Amino acid sequence: MYPEQPPGNGEPLLRIEALVKRFGGFRALDGLTFDLMPGEIVGLVGPNGSGKTTCINVISGLYSPDGGDVIYHGRPISGMPSHRLVQIGINRTFQVPKPFPTLTASENVRVAAAHGRCDCTAVDVDALLASFELDCYAGRPAAELNAGQQKMLDLARALATGPSLLCIDELAAGLNPAELVRVAERLRELARSGITLLVVEHLMGFIDQVTDRVIVLNAGRGIFEGPLRGAVTDPKVIEVFLGTENGD
Amino acid sequence: MLGYTILAGLLFGLYFSLVGLGLNLVFGVVRIVNLAHGDFLMLGAFSAYWLFSLFAVSPFISVVLVFVGFSIIAWPLYYLLVPRLMATKDPEMLSLILFFGFSQVIEALATIAFGTSDRSIPGRALHMGPCRLFGQNYPASWIVGAVVSAAAVLFIYLYLYHTTKGYLSRAVMAHREEAVASGINVNRVCAIAFSIGVGLAAAAGVFAPFIFGSINPAMGVNITITSLTVIVVGSLGNPLGTVLGGLTYGISLMFMQTYFSSWANLLAYVMLILILLIRPSGLLGRSVRYA
Amino acid sequence: MPRTMRHILVALVPVAAMALLPLVYSNQLLLFNFVVFMILAQGINVIYGFTGYLPFGYFGFFGAGAYGFAISIMHLRMTPLPALGMAAIAAVVLALVLVPLFRLSGAYFAIANLAAGLAVYQVVSNPSLDNITKGPYGISLPAVFDPNFSYGIALVLLAATMMTVIYLRNSKFGLSLQAIRDDAVSAAMAGVNVVRLRVMAWLLSAVIAGLVGGVFAWYISVFYPQTVFSLDFSIFAIVFALFGGMTTILGPIIGVVILYGIYNLIGISTPQYFELVYGLLIMGLVLFQPNGVVALFKRWGIDVP
Repeated sequence: MYPEQPPGNGEPLLRIEALVKRFGGFRALDGLTFDLMPGEIVGLVGPNGSGKTTCINVISGLYSPDGGDVIYHGRPISGMPSHRLVQIGINRTFQVPKPFPTLTASENVRVAAAHGRCDCTAVDVDALLASFELDCYAGRPAAELNAGQQKMLDLARALATGPSLLCIDELAAGLNPAELVRVAERLRELARSGITLLVVEHLMGFIDQVTDRVIVLNAGRGIFEGPLRGAVTDPKVIEVFLGTENGD
Repeated sequence: MLGYTILAGLLFGLYFSLVGLGLNLVFGVVRIVNLAHGDFLMLGAFSAYWLFSLFAVSPFISVVLVFVGFSIIAWPLYYLLVPRLMATKDPEMLSLILFFGFSQVIEALATIAFGTSDRSIPGRALHMGPCRLFGQNYPASWIVGAVVSAAAVLFIYLYLYHTTKGYLSRAVMAHREEAVASGINVNRVCAIAFSIGVGLAAAAGVFAPFIFGSINPAMGVNITITSLTVIVVGSLGNPLGTVLGGLTYGISLMFMQTYFSSWANLLAYVMLILILLIRPSGLLGRSVRYA
Repeated sequence: MPRTMRHILVALVPVAAMALLPLVYSNQLLLFNFVVFMILAQGINVIYGFTGYLPFGYFGFFGAGAYGFAISIMHLRMTPLPALGMAAIAAVVLALVLVPLFRLSGAYFAIANLAAGLAVYQVVSNPSLDNITKGPYGISLPAVFDPNFSYGIALVLLAATMMTVIYLRNSKFGLSLQAIRDDAVSAAMAGVNVVRLRVMAWLLSAVIAGLVGGVFAWYISVFYPQTVFSLDFSIFAIVFALFGGMTTILGPIIGVVILYGIYNLIGISTPQYFELVYGLLIMGLVLFQPNGVVALFKRWGIDVP
């Protein structure tokens, strides 16, 4: 029912339209709008509390929006339960990794492989673990892995469901430089294989290495869209990140 | 009849606020469910009974002695049980089992010590006749229970909102992790809350022989369930919400007993389920806990 | 030998033991009670072990099963086996009514479930329902009394329950339930339909309790509401299962053999001393061995499935 191949002819894979999410009186998202094209890697940046994680939580069905729409493959999907979204190809990782602590690393991935998209070919769990250097921990409970390994397990689990769109929440924080380089390479590889990536990140170096363009968020709205190079010279972005007193 | 029912419900309800208050303080601060709560109330009741029978101590003095005594006993008990419990995988759930075991121990020891028969304190111990309010007579014990409860609630309010320790308790209640991170000695704050909670349960027990007519070592379970109802209705983890829960429960109970007496026993359970389903945060609650 | 095969062979040991013991030991009622608690402990294992929801009101399903059985015999003139089907249906209906409780988490669920069990007890034992449930006056089913047959059916039920747990241990369904227990949000992100699987596990454990409640009513054939709607059934079964080891196949059985064994040695003659020992045992269990004796065996290098 959902086309497996990217729609092509310039149709976006995901369209966020005037999205609003309120928590009490606070508007975490306040009319956010942007598009993601198939196979693109887009960075979502902005100061703390600007709505980056909330945006991912809405896309992945954890929250339902209070206004606006999320359009995926040309169809509105806001309000759909998370597991349905996973089955049509949307997945995400968590800022603080959330593995199943009492299950082994291999079982963590197997659950996802068993319930992911019914149309994707059988997932090779061992190969997937190996590609994240988790193969030697396959039989160990996930609780025994270190934070970096748990992040990789999160990513492996998300990939086991065969996503077309993967939202990645703060993957780089806490990884060492060597790991960062490997992860960046891995993400670009995923994009080349046709997966669209939405990357929330604080490390600008990492964003620069990985993304094609960035969307800068402030107070729940997009204030800039374009290459990172352009963002750092944009007066509005500078104002948000450095404050107004730096002006004249 | 209607006026009598409502006023009686209010008086009863105030007493039930006191019954639930300690349990809610402990749950709010320590995040454990003290299923032995009713058994501490039972022990408080027996203490008052023996203090009166052996030394003719008036319940008005007993209530202070019992509160202080049980608070002191609860302090080492906290350090014996809770820190180990907190180290387990799922402390909130396991606390139900741990304290159920504890309630069995208390009930067993009380049965061995006091036997299974019902005991009561003669009403003259209160030195008061029935009181007349708005043209109706109410038993002195109801009025006394209500007044003491109001005083206890006031005491908790002053503690929570006007002392440093109370301020810390509220910090732990609101955000446990942040409280740890900001250097609050959470264990100590919890120990204090646990002591006060147990002390309040025992203090409520002092008036149990009058309110319920008689006491016995097996009464704890029902008291615990009533207390759970009261605090869930009021809002779990919000000690002052307990008052609203107690009043709601008291008035509903009086109505049921007056108009549908054969189904009155069902009230606590149905109220508990309905509130949990319709408004799990309780009447005064803010933070909702969904799965 | 494949894992599932080994599990099945191991599971047959307690079933065979309970089948052979009546030949050498004459107190069949006691053995029957052991079987009942083994089944209940496994039912708790299904819901608490695999989903993490603590069903304090589990006795409600047991009682619903007993009354579903008795009412089908008394009013619908059924024979015992179809009446057992009604026992299961009664428990499932109650479980479906209680499905909204799953919106609650942790202690809230346990408390609400406890209240639900007690509420059902209050309804069933209410004198105004005398003509349907016989209210507080109790039930007597002399016409269907057949201890040997009902004991046999209890054994079949025990075997079926063991197989259920083995299935959960070795299937995608069981693995997904454990994933939900560990982290419901992550499970949803693994594509698991959290709500549906939880409800399925809930109904499964309710059916187990309903059936064993029905068999219990059949075997003893004379009982009061407080006999079957007793919090003890919940607490005993939870403690037995926890003592042995949750999510294991033999743990709950081991728990019943040890703890219910102790109960029968000292509990009958001096209940208050048993209550004391039992209470201390529960506390010690939670504080020192929350993963049960099977985990202890594992640490000693003995692998008990």
